[in-house]
Formats: sequence, structure tokens, C-alpha cells
Amino acid sequence: MNPLTLSLVLTTMISGTLIVMTSSHWFMIWVGFEMNMLAIIPLLTKEHNPRSTEAATKYFLTQATASMLLMMAAITNLLYTGHWSIMKLINPTASIMMTMALTMKLGLSPFHFWVPEVTQGIPLMSGLILLTWQKLAPLSVLYMIMPLINMNILLIMSLMSIAIGGWGGLNQTQLRKIMAYSSIAHMGWMLAVLTYNPTMTLLNLYLYIPMTVTTFMLLMINSTTTTTSLSHTYNKLPLITTLILITMLSLGGLPPLTGFLPKWAIIQEMTKNSSIIMPTLMALLALLNLYFYTRITYTTSLTMFPTANNMKIKWQFKNSKQTMSLPLMITISTLTLPLAPMMMILD
Amino acid sequence: MMVYIVSILSIIFVVGFVGFSSKPSPIYGGVGLFASGGVGCGIVVSFNGSFLGLMVFLIYLGGMLVVFGYTTAMATEQYPEAWVSNMVVLGSFVVGLLMEFLLVLYVLVGEELKVVFEFNEIGDWAIYDTGDSGVFTKESMGVAALYSYGNWLVVVTGWSLLIGVVIILEITRGN
Repeated sequence: MNPLTLSLVLTTMISGTLIVMTSSHWFMIWVGFEMNMLAIIPLLTKEHNPRSTEAATKYFLTQATASMLLMMAAITNLLYTGHWSIMKLINPTASIMMTMALTMKLGLSPFHFWVPEVTQGIPLMSGLILLTWQKLAPLSVLYMIMPLINMNILLIMSLMSIAIGGWGGLNQTQLRKIMAYSSIAHMGWMLAVLTYNPTMTLLNLYLYIPMTVTTFMLLMINSTTTTTSLSHTYNKLPLITTLILITMLSLGGLPPLTGFLPKWAIIQEMTKNSSIIMPTLMALLALLNLYFYTRITYTTSLTMFPTANNMKIKWQFKNSKQTMSLPLMITISTLTLPLAPMMMILD
Repeated sequence: MMVYIVSILSIIFVVGFVGFSSKPSPIYGGVGLFASGGVGCGIVVSFNGSFLGLMVFLIYLGGMLVVFGYTTAMATEQYPEAWVSNMVVLGSFVVGLLMEFLLVLYVLVGEELKVVFEFNEIGDWAIYDTGDSGVFTKESMGVAALYSYGNWLVVVTGWSLLIGVVIILEITRGN
């Protein structure tokens, strides 16, 4: 893309999210969301083919609907309280509508249908931005209106998201769709604890973003988008297979790795509030997620898939892809569990 | 009759919206936009917002909608759909008109003029009395405030409009 256009688009996308995060007037938050959405559309259609146009259209339609619902909720709040400031949404109508709008933006169940389709139709870098940066703005607004969100609605949506993220990803071989379902499930975990202790939501977010960035960067090295081509990496860059192993297991939430920390903290906060069934169900459904991550590591690093003979021995070219700070990201996303006592700085 | 001017203008406003929401071709939709825009100006003016009404007429109707009309005339299709050419469009238009008619009946029969908000004459364009330099209405004060306290809003909306054009050009550039 033209460098000037690309810099304008990225600037607008970043400033849209920053406007959402730093505004105290509901209208400015809506403006920030619209700026963010408009600016990311050219990034989604970076490669001009009909599939990316379809993905961009689906993204635009769902996000525009969500923005309209957000504006409606803000105006309902204005009708009943007479001001536009973001203190709390006192009126239940406004609060529920705002929750629906923001969960639609995040891709939570039952509004999750756009996430796999949009993620599949766009290049890997755009998918990375979609699944990480675009989650920041809605989660910051949800964090701000947290005290009066209807807990039942949020818990039902979170449980459904974890279930759908688990079961939906089981049948996939396309890596972008797997990452999309993983994002749905992680959003479910994040919003389940929002009404109990929103600090754990932020903790999950701060660890989910590095893990997803690491996964996408590992996929971008070889531009692999299918499980099959990922299973050929033992021949191209054998180190990547080990790194994918530990990153995937960290995403799945296995104990000695970082991904265990958010799940542990969330389950602890929920049980402190005498909620037992919900975290049990969430932990059981997270096993589905773990299954398809383990399947990826199985195909990548634990077995050699059957290939044609000319793919068994390859020319070992020097890697010319830029891998910005990949070692740092891998370390953050797999080895920071011993830093768990530092969690208290989040309060 | 002058007492009900706001109600009548609002009804025409909604009918104009129904006219283009029933999705005829964009050229005919532009007719609905013009009608609704013009009548909306009338509503604003009848609430003592003369400056803002004129602004909408000039800039929105006379600038943006004219450009919209030119672009849809350039991008027109071979058989444009009017309201009577397609059963779907006609059906949704009729349903919208029916809904509006029922709402008007409800307001008339219910003997109160409060559907979403009160149809007062002055409304809440309250008057600021700043000493003896005359009467300043909230509406022109609001416009003035946009450029003094609302610096940031002007910057953001100006940037958004510019970026909107840049993005649309980038998307429709094709290859």
C-alpha cells in the first residue's frame, strides 16, 4: 500500500482507539469507534480479491450496527439522566444496550459469527491487528461501565463464547480460523470475571495480546495459513516447531507457562465470590481449546506428516522476513508465570 | 395550525425517511433525503435555531447532497428502481406509511403531544442573559462554544472527514 496512505490509516486507527480510551463524553467515544472502524477497512482489503472484500463488508456491517447501538444506549442514558458523561449507565435499558453493542464489537457469543469469516479472508498481519488492537477500545469502555452491567447477561454470553470458541475451533484446519475461535474463547474468559474483579480482565488482556502476537508472528515467518503447511516447518526452520509447541500450550493454559496465569487468577476471583459452577464449566470448556492447540503442536513438532518426496529435503534459504522482537515476545508469552506475585501492581 | 407546525413537519420528516429506507435506487433516495433535510431545517428553525437551520440548508443540502446527486447520476444503473416499479419497495414504503399513520392516530387520540419528547414552542433553547449586551440564544452560543471550548471536537471531526475521503478513495481504487 502507498506509504502515505498506510501511515494515515495507521495513525487514524491508533488515534481512534486512544480517543475511545481517554474520552469522558459518550459522543467522543462513538467518534473514536467510528474512526477506528473506518481506518481499518483498507487494511482488511490490502490484497484486492473478492474474499477480502467480503470480509471487509462483514466487518463493516457488524461494527457499524454495534456503533449505532452504542449511540442509542448513550442517548437513552441522556434521556434518563440528562448528561453525556461516562459516570455509570444508571438506566438498565441503556446499560444492557451498551453491553450488547460492546460485545458485538468484541465478537462475543451470540455475536461471534463474523470473527472467523473476517479473520479468514484477510492477510495475516491484518488478522493480527484485528484480533489484538481492536479489542482494546471496547474492553476499555466495558471496564469503565463495569459497576452496572447486568451480571447475568454477561455471564451467559461469556459461557456461550467459551463453549463456541472451543467447539467451533475443533473442526478447523485453517490457522486463521483457529486463531479467531481462540479469540472468541479468550474474550469469554475476560468478560466472565469483569463484574467480579475487572483487574483480572485486564490481566487476561495483557497476557492474551502478547500470546496472540507471538502466534501470528510465528505464522508470518513462513506465511503459513493452514495446518498442513505448518506441518512442513520442520524442514524449513526447525526451531519454529519448538516455539510453536510452547506458544500453543501457553495459549491453552497449561501450568508452567504464562497462559495459566490469567485462568488461575480468574478462577480464583470467581470462587472468592462463591461462584463454583461457573468457573468449573469454564475450565472444562477450556479443555476443548487445549485440544485443538495440542493438535497443532502434534502436527508441527511431534510428528512428521506424510509429504511428497520433494518436500522432504529443501534448500535452506536464509530467512529474509523481518521478525520484530520475536524472541522477546516468545519469552513474555511463555515464561512469565513466576512473575505472578507482581500482579498486584495492576490494582 | 401554527401550534402544530412541529408535529406536521415531523410527520413529513418521517415520511421522507420511509421513502428512502424502502430502498429505491439512490437517485430516488436522494429525493427523500432532500425532503427530510429541508423539513428538518424547518423544525430546527421553528425552535429558534435560525442559524443552524440555515447552515444545514446551505452546507448539507446545498453542498453535500448536491455532490451526492451528481455522483449517483454518474453511477446510475440501467433500470433504476422507483417506489412503484418493485413490489418489495412499494410494500416496505406502504408498511412504513402505515406505521406512521398509526403513530399519528395514537398521538391524536391520546390527547397528549409527548411521543419521544415534548413538542413545546420554545423547547429548551433557553436564553442566556449575559448582562445588558442583549439576548444570546443557546444556539449561536453553542456554535461559538464549538470553536472555543470544543477545539478538540473540531479537530477530531475535521480529521475524520478527511480520513473518510482518503479511505473511500483507497478502497475504491481497485488494483
